[in-house]
Amino acid sequence: MSDAIVKVKNLKKRYGTKTVVNDVSFDVHEGEVFGILGPNGAGKTTTLEMIEALRPIDGGSVTLAGIDVASNPHKIKQAIGVQLQSTSFFDHLTLKELLHMFGGMYHQKVHPNHLLEQVNLADRAKSEVNTLSGGQRQRFSVASALVNKPKVLFLDEPTTGLDPQSRRNLWELIQNIQKQGITVVLTTHYMEEAQLLCDRVAIMDNGKIIALDTPDNLITELLNKGFKKKVEVQKADLEDVFIELTGKDLRE
Amino acid sequence: MIINDLKTVWSMAKAFTKRFFRDKTALFFTFLFPLIFLFVFGNIFGKNSGPSFSVALINKSQTGFSKQFVEDFKKGEVFKVQESVDFDTAKEKLGRGELDGIIELPVEFGQVVDNTPTGKVLTYYDQGDETLASTLQAVLDVVLEGVNSQFIKVSPPFTLEAKPIQTANLTRFDYTFAGLIGFSLLSMAIFSMSEGFTSDKKTGSLRRMQVAPIRPWQLILATAMNRIFIGILTVVLMFIVGLIVFDFNMRGDYLSFLLFTVIATTCLFGFGMAIAGWARDANQAAPLSNLISFPMMFLSGVFFPTFLMPEMLQKITVFIPLTPVVDGLRLILTEGKTLLELGPQLIIIGAWTVIIYVVSFKVFRWE
Repeated sequence: MSDAIVKVKNLKKRYGTKTVVNDVSFDVHEGEVFGILGPNGAGKTTTLEMIEALRPIDGGSVTLAGIDVASNPHKIKQAIGVQLQSTSFFDHLTLKELLHMFGGMYHQKVHPNHLLEQVNLADRAKSEVNTLSGGQRQRFSVASALVNKPKVLFLDEPTTGLDPQSRRNLWELIQNIQKQGITVVLTTHYMEEAQLLCDRVAIMDNGKIIALDTPDNLITELLNKGFKKKVEVQKADLEDVFIELTGKDLRE
Repeated sequence: MIINDLKTVWSMAKAFTKRFFRDKTALFFTFLFPLIFLFVFGNIFGKNSGPSFSVALINKSQTGFSKQFVEDFKKGEVFKVQESVDFDTAKEKLGRGELDGIIELPVEFGQVVDNTPTGKVLTYYDQGDETLASTLQAVLDVVLEGVNSQFIKVSPPFTLEAKPIQTANLTRFDYTFAGLIGFSLLSMAIFSMSEGFTSDKKTGSLRRMQVAPIRPWQLILATAMNRIFIGILTVVLMFIVGLIVFDFNMRGDYLSFLLFTVIATTCLFGFGMAIAGWARDANQAAPLSNLISFPMMFLSGVFFPTFLMPEMLQKITVFIPLTPVVDGLRLILTEGKTLLELGPQLIIIGAWTVIIYVVSFKVFRWE
């Protein structure tokens, strides 16, 4: 659990005069789910994309499974799976055909049915992506990121815009992926999601990491400072009501 | 390693092609548009028409000679004769330009006087068009002269003798066809290519591919393979229609035609690829596509032969990529040249192919 599979050191990204990612360093341990939290514009996506070899690195270094990202972008892409924030797939191709095509890009023989089963889309194998619901689309996106049996899976805001049922479904999927031994790095701005899924989280703001620890430690630290919630914590919240009333079953 | 990379290219090209054939709109525009184009321009340029006149012929005479005259008159190729119109309708048509003149044979036309039929042919013309009228009169004079010579034997001191010379005997369509193929390839290569590719950039589906370990050259090659395949299908389709509908007279060999089409299509698609690879969206692609394709269309001998252009311009047009394509197609299709005889064209096309694919590789952007 303690071996670092991703090592980020002093990572920097500038757009013009604006520094979007400013001296970011962290390690991701093998087998964990690592969350990067932060408000919009904090630099989460840019950080991920530099690690994924999709954006040039302006300063600092990233190694993934011992490979330097800047000098071996191609090898890195072989080793990782990526779900982009707002991703899109070719129209007029079925899910199965798309998975075959992606598999071909990794020189991998894929078993589309097996992958689709894993994300609960086996019955949609012959559908096109534009007929899928938002949640199904995200799950397909995850399936397409798994074609190369990646060591690390990157998910950029995987649950943004999904209804509560779809989100819960995706959480289960992510937990299952972790059980297969795949390291997961995700970004989110839903705190309950981070608390539930992530072994450790980094909180980012204005291009910097301002806190990094397990969710429990971060909470304990805050409480130790004498923090008290202004409102008495309720035993249930509106989301619990919603799920209780509508059930956990997927609606799609 | 390279084998695997090429396998990837192949699987991508296959997927792209599958995708293309499921896209109804793309199919429609890709295959139907060149055909419509072929029909429109084939009919405009394709008719092997000499000068001819549309005339109304009104025969008021009942004589046997007048009937014979009408029959003979209609047989000639010079006149398109409309019969059984009354004078007023004919006059209206003349006014609209549908007719070039009205010919009337009066009641007494063909009456026999001194053993010889006689008579006057009346012609009416639009007084606004004197030139047409005098040409028509001259032609009618010749017709009547022919009739007269049957009755009055004279041997004129000066005569004109016209002799045909054996030429390649190209129809107008035969000549235009190569240009039409070249034009269709160009518009497909540049417009449909840049349209499709930029929309994939816009939706982000190209970016999704960037995530995978593929290199731009693989995407460019796979796209080119898909597009070249479609381009060849289009040419085949146009060719079949040309053969069947327009009686196209194929003089060259099919192997040269096929190989040259592949080479030419590869080159032209490079231009679409460069534009589409560079442009971030359709707004950038469209003006650039126009900028590149319009000079090619008008300067490359697609619609009219380059030898009609000023000499200075001719020297430049030789090097425009579409010129050797159209020239080469024309040489194969209408002059029966083989690929081996097209050295100059192949050199220019080859040079452009190298240049444009290097450029498209350099300017390529994923998003």
